[in-house]
Amino acid sequence: MAVKTLSELADFYSAVLLPVLRPLEAKRKKLAGGYLKLTLITAVVLLLVFIVFVAGNGRLWWLFLFPGAAGLWVGIDLYGVGRSYTAEFKNSVIAALVGFLDKGLVYNWESHIGLEEYQNSRIFLQRVDRYSGDDLVSGKLDKTRIRFSELHTEYKTQTTDSKGHTETHWHTIFKGLFFIADFNKDFNGCTVVLPDVAEKMLGGFLGGLLQNMNLSRAKLIKLEDPEFEKNFAVYGEDQVTARYILSTSLMERLLAYKKETNKTVYFSFVDSRIYVAVAYNKNLFEPKIFGTILSFEAIKEYFLDLKLAVDLVDELSLNTRIWSKT
Amino acid sequence: MSSGFYVFLGFCGFIFVLVVLLMNSLIYKKNMVNNAFSTIDVLLKKRFDLIPNLVAAVKGYMAHEAGVFTKIAELRSRALSGQGTLNETIALDSELTGVLRGLLVSVENYPALKASDNFMQLQRTLNEVEEQISAARRAFNAAVNEYNNAVQMVPTNVLASLMNYREKKFFTILEAEKKNINTGELLK
Repeated sequence: MAVKTLSELADFYSAVLLPVLRPLEAKRKKLAGGYLKLTLITAVVLLLVFIVFVAGNGRLWWLFLFPGAAGLWVGIDLYGVGRSYTAEFKNSVIAALVGFLDKGLVYNWESHIGLEEYQNSRIFLQRVDRYSGDDLVSGKLDKTRIRFSELHTEYKTQTTDSKGHTETHWHTIFKGLFFIADFNKDFNGCTVVLPDVAEKMLGGFLGGLLQNMNLSRAKLIKLEDPEFEKNFAVYGEDQVTARYILSTSLMERLLAYKKETNKTVYFSFVDSRIYVAVAYNKNLFEPKIFGTILSFEAIKEYFLDLKLAVDLVDELSLNTRIWSKT
Repeated sequence: MSSGFYVFLGFCGFIFVLVVLLMNSLIYKKNMVNNAFSTIDVLLKKRFDLIPNLVAAVKGYMAHEAGVFTKIAELRSRALSGQGTLNETIALDSELTGVLRGLLVSVENYPALKASDNFMQLQRTLNEVEEQISAARRAFNAAVNEYNNAVQMVPTNVLASLMNYREKKFFTILEAEKKNINTGELLK
């Protein structure tokens, strides 16, 4: 797999993307204008609310009909334009970027990694009450089959106050990129590599004790690389399998990937597959509405986010097939 | 009876439970070391079992290097025959690793052999077992580390000396194995 550089991206941007981006930019301007209209109408409504209810005792309620109808009309129109704008942007720009990164990859903005696969990874054990995602990329890079998409998973809690009102709160479990690939070694069972919170705060000995008490996980596995141990906690069903997967070189690679992304990353290895979750606090691959989409900087951001996932195959050298798995 | 007696009784009970727990944790750690060692043993056997296949695949091409095959066969039978101690097993293993690596390097001189499916498959399997053995060694060392910590740290060190538990040695790579392998030497 040839690694794409930023200068190659710049060429691709001016040759292929710009002609596609120009008509989209017109659409974006229309959309942004629509939002401006909606904001103005809302301001008028608020002003009327003030006049009708505070100064006029509610007799002039029919005054709402005009701005209300106008607001509804603009709103419906905006929804349609917004959806087609997003679809067009993703289908042309993001899809082109995915193809640019590697010809073997296919992009589908409306699909995502399924709930079953998410749960199969055993990275997040929390019950899921709301599951959503988009931007699925799938395909084969050399010998390695990969799939990744954006995911957002949440669970809810309900509180009831003294008056009997029930309130539902939603809490995010994971939001970001979720990645699945073939691993280059055959193995059974499950090994999970989680970001280490306890050891970082409490140091090796106390942190280790605390990790040992994590009852929802299989056995804690202590590895010999102190830097790795400081950053990750490993849980697995089998001591030897875990070390067979996490060879000294893979530990270094995982650590390097974590440092490079500068994000919270989770890894798990289940039945000859690797799962990686990279947490983001922004929505990925969404088109801008306010601010131009023609700039190279904006395209570069999409490209780097995509590259981060695709590069995993090289960085973890998943295409090295010197073991019996081919 | 006075309440002081009950306090004393409670204290004794507490100490008893504590001692039992600590002793059990020591025994657990010792068994972990034994278990990890037996895993290495199992994997080494697995590799010894692969060797006849490898030799059979290679022999036809490399007939004039018979010395290596005799050496391999000898090491293999020694490893399989005796219930060796830890140190013996380690020594045999590293010697065999050296000879095998040398053999695999010299295969470079035989392109037809290198390209044969049978040999490639064997080499992959061998790589896999090697990687598993290295994983098992690391698991063993981790178990030894846990055990040694318990033997040396307060308060388990007191119990350990009462139970006559001593520190165990790590599985280290022998000096000979650390050196670069001289293929020419091996094939003499």
